[in-house]
Amino acid sequence: MAEGTAPISPEGAAIGRPIARDDGVAKVTGRARYAADCRPPGLLHAVIAPSRIARGRVTAFDLDAAMAEPGVVAVMTPANRPPLAEDPDAKTAPIVFRLDLLQDDRIRYAGQPVAVVIGETLEAAEEGAFRLAPAYAAEPALVDIDAAEPFVPETVGLGAPVERRRGDVEAALATAAHRVQRRYETAAQVHNPLEPHAVVAVWEGDRLWVDTPSQNVARAQRRIAGLLGLPPDHVHIRSPFVGGGFGAKAFPAGPQVLGILAARLVGRPVKLVLSRAQMFGAVGHRAPTRQTLRLGLADDGTIAALAHHARVASSRFDDFFEPAAALSGGVYAAGAVETTHEAVRLDIATPVVMRGPGEATGSLALECAIDEAAAELGLDPLAFRRLNHADTEPISGRPFSSKALRACYDAGAARFGWAGRPLAPRSLSDSDGRLVGLGIGTAVFPSMMFQAEARALLRADGAAIVELGAHEIGQGAATALRQIAADALGLPLSAVTLRTGASDLPDAGGAAGSSHTATAGSAIHAAGTALVARLAALATADPASPLHGAGNAVLFAADGALHAGDGRRDPHAAVLARAGLGAIEARGAAAPDRAARASHAMAAHGAVFAEVAVDPDLGAIRVTRLVGAFAAGRIVNPRLARSQLVGGMIWGLSLALHEAAQFDPATGAIANADLGAYRIPVHADLPFVEALLVAEEDTLVNPLGVKGVGEIGITGTAGAVANAVWHATGVRIRRFPIRIEDLALAMPGREKEDDA
Amino acid sequence: MKAFDYLKPDAVPAAVGALAANPDAKLLAGGMTLLPTMKQRLAEPAALIDLAGIAGLKGITLDGDTLTIGAMTPHAEVAASATVAAAIPALAALAGGIGDPAVRNRGTIGGSLANCDPSADYPAAVLGLGATVITDRREIAADDFFLGLFETALEADELITAVRFPRPLRAGYAKFKSPASRYALVGVFVAETVAGVRVAVTGAAASVFRAPAFEAALAADFTPGAVAGLSVDAADLNADIHAEASYRAHLVTVMAKRAVAAALE
Ligand SMILES: Cc1cc2nc3c(=O)[nH]c(=O)nc-3n(C[C@H](O)[C@H](O)[C@H](O)COP(=O)(O)OP(=O)(O)OC[C@H]3O[C@@H](n4cnc5c(N)ncnc54)[C@H](O)[C@@H]3O)c2cc1C
Repeated sequence: MAEGTAPISPEGAAIGRPIARDDGVAKVTGRARYAADCRPPGLLHAVIAPSRIARGRVTAFDLDAAMAEPGVVAVMTPANRPPLAEDPDAKTAPIVFRLDLLQDDRIRYAGQPVAVVIGETLEAAEEGAFRLAPAYAAEPALVDIDAAEPFVPETVGLGAPVERRRGDVEAALATAAHRVQRRYETAAQVHNPLEPHAVVAVWEGDRLWVDTPSQNVARAQRRIAGLLGLPPDHVHIRSPFVGGGFGAKAFPAGPQVLGILAARLVGRPVKLVLSRAQMFGAVGHRAPTRQTLRLGLADDGTIAALAHHARVASSRFDDFFEPAAALSGGVYAAGAVETTHEAVRLDIATPVVMRGPGEATGSLALECAIDEAAAELGLDPLAFRRLNHADTEPISGRPFSSKALRACYDAGAARFGWAGRPLAPRSLSDSDGRLVGLGIGTAVFPSMMFQAEARALLRADGAAIVELGAHEIGQGAATALRQIAADALGLPLSAVTLRTGASDLPDAGGAAGSSHTATAGSAIHAAGTALVARLAALATADPASPLHGAGNAVLFAADGALHAGDGRRDPHAAVLARAGLGAIEARGAAAPDRAARASHAMAAHGAVFAEVAVDPDLGAIRVTRLVGAFAAGRIVNPRLARSQLVGGMIWGLSLALHEAAQFDPATGAIANADLGAYRIPVHADLPFVEALLVAEEDTLVNPLGVKGVGEIGITGTAGAVANAVWHATGVRIRRFPIRIEDLALAMPGREKEDDA
Repeated sequence: MKAFDYLKPDAVPAAVGALAANPDAKLLAGGMTLLPTMKQRLAEPAALIDLAGIAGLKGITLDGDTLTIGAMTPHAEVAASATVAAAIPALAALAGGIGDPAVRNRGTIGGSLANCDPSADYPAAVLGLGATVITDRREIAADDFFLGLFETALEADELITAVRFPRPLRAGYAKFKSPASRYALVGVFVAETVAGVRVAVTGAAASVFRAPAFEAALAADFTPGAVAGLSVDAADLNADIHAEASYRAHLVTVMAKRAVAAALE
């Protein structure tokens, strides 16, 4: 351990305790103030008029009719939208997405804002937006991923390589004893957080106050300041609570900026909240994929070759390519492995990161293909996965910083009761005559880390305030980060206050990539360590301290005091009091360890087991049990980690069975833009879901040994559910989500019945 | 939503008079369809004529083998009625499977029939039981009432006052519910009556329809197996984002089997 690093005391420590979330009571009592709850005096309401066509131009508005509506204050169109300092189509930084901010009359996707109507009331603004009745010159729109011409993009995801290879896949396939080639389809999905995008904007001269949900307040501040030509510190973004983001709030979306521009136009505070239908438009989605897996297998069951090729889609005007194949370079050992992508451009909004971008869809296809390969060989799918366990990362040959996947297989299989599962599909049924199947999937998610800063302030009374622009997006970050802070400062939890969710605080990086606890937590850990070092320096230099003369390195902080190894102690408050200091402050920063990351692959792992029951007549699928076992390094709060994992597993179930945004080929618009027809699972769809935590120690991933638990639950689960459906019915559906009609109409024996 | 006038007459003639006088007005029953339609701007009536103030439009009576349900009777009342449960248990079960509790407490049988949604449940029972729709001016046999997509035999200013159901020997209803609304993706009502077997299918096509081949098979042998090999022609059925026509055709057979099984319980 480096000198000056505060050891985290295991005894009575905050980390590892399953405490309830700090904001739980505020949320269930309605005290938590979300952006749309803000009502500054003089507030006006803005409503977006979304395009009804997917490609073409706006030719006219009925401005008179809109303005004639009682209560309508203004209509913002390209003709009068306040000027911007930057072209919203300019790529001003490597990771910046083009925005539709009424720069012209062009329409590039259905749902694109074409005007904003501002009214004294929400009702007036809505009626005005309706009366505005935009007229269009429509052009034919293309929204079908299979119909468009493919090309090879320069990168996928946020700058990841489009192709990766190790070994000669074609040669290994050519000589393999068995070959399996399968194609899978996944549908477009929409994030649909509970809280729609909302913004309340208040201008004070050239200062701007913005209440809006964000997964990255520092990035939002930079982007908004750049667009408006303001110094970043004149833009104050507040985002204390986020009602879910899932990636849709990782980047400021066009409508949020339009709300700010509307406030500028009318010179009054403005609130703009998207309707649920408008959430299916301008705020991002997950693009559909078409994925082909090719496996070459040896007679002994080992994988000789694995090739994963994905076709993905972006908009016509910007680049975000779901890196769907990339994960296959890191899951199963293979003699040769290759991951490649191609892309098409469609008349759709630019897709954006959505929980498990690439990993979710890629894992679904990979886990199905692995299952199909096991079936081809007549092997138990778990035994086949164990046999092809990747001891090193296949695509790079790097060792893993830690990997407890085998223990996950063991723990999950034991809890689920995998042993004794019949190999043949359509072997099991329940007392209601439903076909029962058991499936498995391997879960994996890279352990990412970004840069962050934090500051800690210790007051004379021995209480501390830790501040950083971190994000409580419902995942429990505020609670977990406070636990890390308490241990770093050697204070009881009750003595630590955490302030997050504002751009005026140190940049804590974004809540994305399942990295927030690792990233922001490491910065807090560094700030706490620095503060304890300052405190120790004061104590050891103070003749009145019991620790006078003790070396810094032998001191540690716990229970509100500094301790020497020999039992001597000096409370934090006493150190400050004798020094005559009202408070001391320290800052800390964290960044990924480049050297460790160059030499090691870093990922969390898990194994997910699913049981389904299928009505043989209807094809209706019930997932009756889901058990996941996950190893993700140190677990800061087991209760919250399980909640994250269970949430991820529900997303996986949904990917396999529920969610599909259906683009109408005639209009290019999403035909099921509501929660009745876009099927998010509800409690009635959810079975017994259980997440087990498997112990894992990692000394390389970051100083805290923390991996991520946010997204991994999706991976593995979607495939496990799909594989269980096959095991129940003997029917392999490769178009996701699995539609019950596809399943029912493919059911063996049905043709016979129809002929009768 | 556009501003509108609101009227609350206390008698049927007043309601019909108001409707005749104002062609842009609409009758309001439970509002479970009309109000969402107005919110979506699919309807912009100049006035709403609320039927809630008219006594006598609500209630359930059994007279011999004839069950009469007032137009303004909400689904929940039909579902909970001991009279209905004793006379036509399949009808009580059908009403109890409509929508959710809020919809069942507001939505009415008259509103459902007048609206004639292709996925609504009541039309299957009315056609399947050979019921009679009673209006302010006449009686309409079920076979003549349902004309097409949202289209009935009602005149523009005609008001349903009640529905009269003959008690069947036995009857059953089975539907495949939309997971969100509980509307029937396909629902099949099967009844054995003194006049013969009737099979009515809702959800599958533009409007509820009878399935003569199924009726003939069940007349010979009233068991699930009798219809297992039958199917309706998918070419005549609806296809939309909820299901393709081929799956709806498949569902007609499955639901017919289940409806017969329910009738035999
Ligand atoms: C979320 C939801 C779920 C639903 N699920 C189902 C379901 O599973 N199955 C199902 O069958 N239905 C379902 N419904 C529809 C519901 O059951 C009502 O039956 C339906 O909305 C119409 O009844 P109402 O009384 O609400 O009529 P209203 O909405 O008030 O009126 C509907 C139409 O009928 C006219 N009208 C009303 N009463 C009369 C009358 N006495 N004479 C002449 N015209 C009249 C009105 O002018 C209007 O045009 C659902 C509705 C909702 C909102």
